[in-house]
Amino acid sequence: MELQQLCIGYAENRQAPLFGNISAQITQGKLIGLFGRNGIGKSTLLRSMAGLQPLTGGTILLAGKELRKYKPAEIAKRLAFLPSHPLHVPGLSVADMVGTGRFGFTNWMGVERAEDKEAIRQALEVTTLTHLASRDSATLSDGELQRASIARSLVQDTPLILLDEPTAFLDTGNKYKIVRLLKELAQTAHKGILFSTHDLTLALQICDLLWIMTDRGFYAQPPAQLIQNGLLDLLFGDYGLVFDRNTLNYTFKI
Amino acid sequence: MEIYRKNPSYRLYYLLLFILLVLIFLAELMFGSVSIPPGRLFDALLHPKGADFATTILWSLRLPRACTAILAGSALSVCGLQMQTLFRNPLADPYILGISSGAGLGVAFFVMGCSAGMAGTGSAWFINTGIASAAWAGALAVSFMVMFAAKRLNNNMSLLIFGIMIGSAGSAIISLFQYFSSASELKTFVLWTMGSFSNVVGIPLGIMTILVGFGLALAVYNIKILNVLLMGETYAKSLGLHMNAVRNRIFISTALLAGSVTAFCGPIGFIGIAVPHLGRMLFKNANHKRLIPATALLGACVTLFADFIAQLPGSGQVLPINTVAALIGIPVILMIILQHRPHE
Repeated sequence: MELQQLCIGYAENRQAPLFGNISAQITQGKLIGLFGRNGIGKSTLLRSMAGLQPLTGGTILLAGKELRKYKPAEIAKRLAFLPSHPLHVPGLSVADMVGTGRFGFTNWMGVERAEDKEAIRQALEVTTLTHLASRDSATLSDGELQRASIARSLVQDTPLILLDEPTAFLDTGNKYKIVRLLKELAQTAHKGILFSTHDLTLALQICDLLWIMTDRGFYAQPPAQLIQNGLLDLLFGDYGLVFDRNTLNYTFKI
Repeated sequence: MEIYRKNPSYRLYYLLLFILLVLIFLAELMFGSVSIPPGRLFDALLHPKGADFATTILWSLRLPRACTAILAGSALSVCGLQMQTLFRNPLADPYILGISSGAGLGVAFFVMGCSAGMAGTGSAWFINTGIASAAWAGALAVSFMVMFAAKRLNNNMSLLIFGIMIGSAGSAIISLFQYFSSASELKTFVLWTMGSFSNVVGIPLGIMTILVGFGLALAVYNIKILNVLLMGETYAKSLGLHMNAVRNRIFISTALLAGSVTAFCGPIGFIGIAVPHLGRMLFKNANHKRLIPATALLGACVTLFADFIAQLPGSGQVLPINTVAALIGIPVILMIILQHRPHE
């Protein structure tokens, strides 16, 4: 997937896009983190890339063809999107929840054939949820539910996965677990994965590439390069914060 | 390895509900103002051409009435279930988008117009057919308005508010009609709002069966999208669903179901909101593959039972079905509210 001079925002303010001039690409096998302050447009960018929201400018190429020329169902075959805050659905088993990701594969009744069941089984195994398959999904912890959502996007069997803040509300252990899972999926299943996050330290340690959205523009660079170029200082300068290269985190400017 | 726990209890529940339905059905046929003993009942069932008292009561009154109750019960329950899932709102019911107000408005028009134009000439058949057609027209008009609005509103919550507003507008106009109508017109209308399963015989019953059948078939066709909708609109869209097409599919089914029941039986409340919850509580499952058949069966049982009670067997009196349905439905709704846990 390639973004060319993308402008994102809402149709009502076509003159003043939320964020402009984004050029980058996602390649299979790479894990990419998306970082930026609240309200800068991370979710909007992800939603635009998933075809859920029209662009205000620029183009997105998906497998060489313009995204807006795809039918929604065709996009769903190439790209899985995980909205932020997975919903608790009382009464829906984990296997059934994950199974909804097979939407594009099952017949009109949603009957799961052998290959659908195999895909679900594999996804549960990869996300270490096999033992919870028949549990009510509403009883899962936040970390388990997030893994179940990832399993749900895995059964969609797409080369690309976009995740909106998959590590929100998780404890440190679960954050690392989720991000390591994403890294493994990128490497072993050869998927292109982009996730937005507020955990910079974590993202710097594990991502192949980091996209940062700052008030001065959009940058897509490997973590080491971002640090070297001092671009991370751009993010929270207004808040009186500077990036500390030793702790890989922000500290007060002294 | 099998990831699904094979759960035979579903089939057991279905079977038990079905047996229960058959038992209530037989009770409904046997008891009423006059009791028909089992021997006579089976005899009359096997020989519909018989001219005796029991056969006549059975084939022209009780059998159509029981069938109507079963159809109405499953239709309203499945309709309510779809509305609750679409709007992710446990208090949604078949009439939340104003279908019953539309139907009521149609009936109010008809009752007023009928008495003004052809006082005294209308037979019971004419009045029943007229009421059903007028109610259908009203329900359909409201459904089309909602579908039209749905195209412009991309947010389900706004749509819900739109539907409730349409409903309120309809009720307001109905009140205006009532204010200016005569006592006899008022009675005809009020009787309609109380609901009844006893006027659907012969061709109307056939029409209702076909319409409800289509509505239920569509609901089965909707199972897959309803399951996806449980996880939110954004997710549904990301799977490639057009929300507009999804809503229309659900609206066509719900309009057929709620519209036909309201047209032929009047606005039957409570069944449509209470039974889906009853289904979820009994089956402990939110998968519509289980819930749609479960609510259809449960709805049929509950409605048939309510109708059985409404006839006050042995007394010759008949209570309005809505009153009895409400008396059964209210405790269920209260129970749900009291048990509503925050994380749900």
